[in-house]
Amino acid sequence: MKAETLRTLAQHALFVCVFLGLWEWGARAGWVDPSFMGSPLGIITFTLENLTSARLWGDLGYTLLAVFASFVIGSVAAIVTGLAFVTWPKFEAFCDPYISAFNVLPRIALVPLFILWFGLGVGSKIALGVSLTFFIVLSSTVAGIRGVSQDHVTLTRTLGASSRQMFFSVTLPGAVPVLFSGLRLGVIYALLGVVGAEVIASERGLGQQLAYLGSTFNVNGVWSLLFDLALIGVLIMKLMNWIERRLLHWQ
Amino acid sequence: MIDAQRIDLSFDGTNLVLQGVDLHVKAGEFVALAGPSGCGKTTLLNLCAGLVDLPAGQRLRVAGEQPALGSHEVAYMLARDSLFPWLNALDNAAFGLKVRGVPIAEARERAAVMLKQVGLGGSEHLMPKALSHGMRQRVALARTFAMPSPLLLMDEPFGALDAQTKLQLQDLLLQLCQDGNRTVLFVTHDLSEAVALADRVMVMSSRPGRIVADVQVPLARPRSIRELQTSDDFRHTYTQVWKHLEEGWVHHEG
Repeated sequence: MKAETLRTLAQHALFVCVFLGLWEWGARAGWVDPSFMGSPLGIITFTLENLTSARLWGDLGYTLLAVFASFVIGSVAAIVTGLAFVTWPKFEAFCDPYISAFNVLPRIALVPLFILWFGLGVGSKIALGVSLTFFIVLSSTVAGIRGVSQDHVTLTRTLGASSRQMFFSVTLPGAVPVLFSGLRLGVIYALLGVVGAEVIASERGLGQQLAYLGSTFNVNGVWSLLFDLALIGVLIMKLMNWIERRLLHWQ
Repeated sequence: MIDAQRIDLSFDGTNLVLQGVDLHVKAGEFVALAGPSGCGKTTLLNLCAGLVDLPAGQRLRVAGEQPALGSHEVAYMLARDSLFPWLNALDNAAFGLKVRGVPIAEARERAAVMLKQVGLGGSEHLMPKALSHGMRQRVALARTFAMPSPLLLMDEPFGALDAQTKLQLQDLLLQLCQDGNRTVLFVTHDLSEAVALADRVMVMSSRPGRIVADVQVPLARPRSIRELQTSDDFRHTYTQVWKHLEEGWVHHEG
């Protein structure tokens, strides 16, 4: 097993080295145009310089704060709405056409409005993040609660459980697996919304830095930031997996 | 313990599910309710549990009262084990007591005693996913018997088990019933199970469900399921019940 892991790791290291080597060689030989494609050494140089700049960390903090706020606001609102939907199906039926219409709307189109309302700062970024996270978590909340085992519900009813006991002992734990897969998607969409809004118009944030680097033809910088964003995504997923393992150890 | 007189039940107002059902179960009796699938035997059980509302004007008394959800007189057991996958064996066995307001420490203590009785001493901390089907149904039995309810309503509790596990659990159920003063209403479509376990087998016809026979089982207790298989009384009663079941069926088809 251990040897297997090492082998896989070595294969990937070899692949990346060969790929970057060919890229660097091609850039120097003039086969690929470094002003459009950048070059590995250029990217590494930019990344090292960027790591020591206060600007990067400030932008990173700004983006992460917006992602966190979007995720928390969007998820809490969605879970509360989902509970209301399951408790009052008539309310859900009434809201359904509006929810569906809003859900198919390309949310990024709301950015001009959000900028008008909340300004170029963090507010408009959170608004877009929330508008994406909310619907994903809402549908998984409703699906999770509706998917709770009917056997569990029947048994608990025969025991004469109060609605409070039913909710905390049966409905909530039964809904968590599906709900959690919604939360996991929700946080990725919060990141998408925030960075998307930053790219369109912003004062700060990784998306803003990315847009600036792109418009000034700093291709190495663009690659470097894309790498940073991918790394953030991976780390967030790792964190969510860790939480899920702790929360759903019984699965 | 159960007293039902000429119960008619319809879910849609036109098609009867139950027709003129009389059911009388004395305290301490083990009564099996057998019949073809869809005959309404589970519906009758659910009426007793309060899961199905009794139509106005119908007379059904369970432990002297109108059936109601959450009655402490009644413990209900389903076909599938319906253990909560997020609770370990001990907390699953203690679940009924906890919902009924027994303090957690005491509920766990009583559940642990029951787990020992069903042969799962030492498995208290295992999660359901780590248990076999038979073990899971043992935990469900422990959960049911941990409650001191005198009336047990069981809906094909061994229906999903393989033949050998089923025999073991039937023996276990007989043992558990021998210890306490329990009254059991046991729904099953398995006639040999009905005859082997019960004092009386009520046979129902296909829909609309009517009681077509009420057969006394002349087998002494304590019984051993394995030995019963070769007993003449067992085979004789089995044939008798089977005949009634067939009649109820044929009558319907014709």
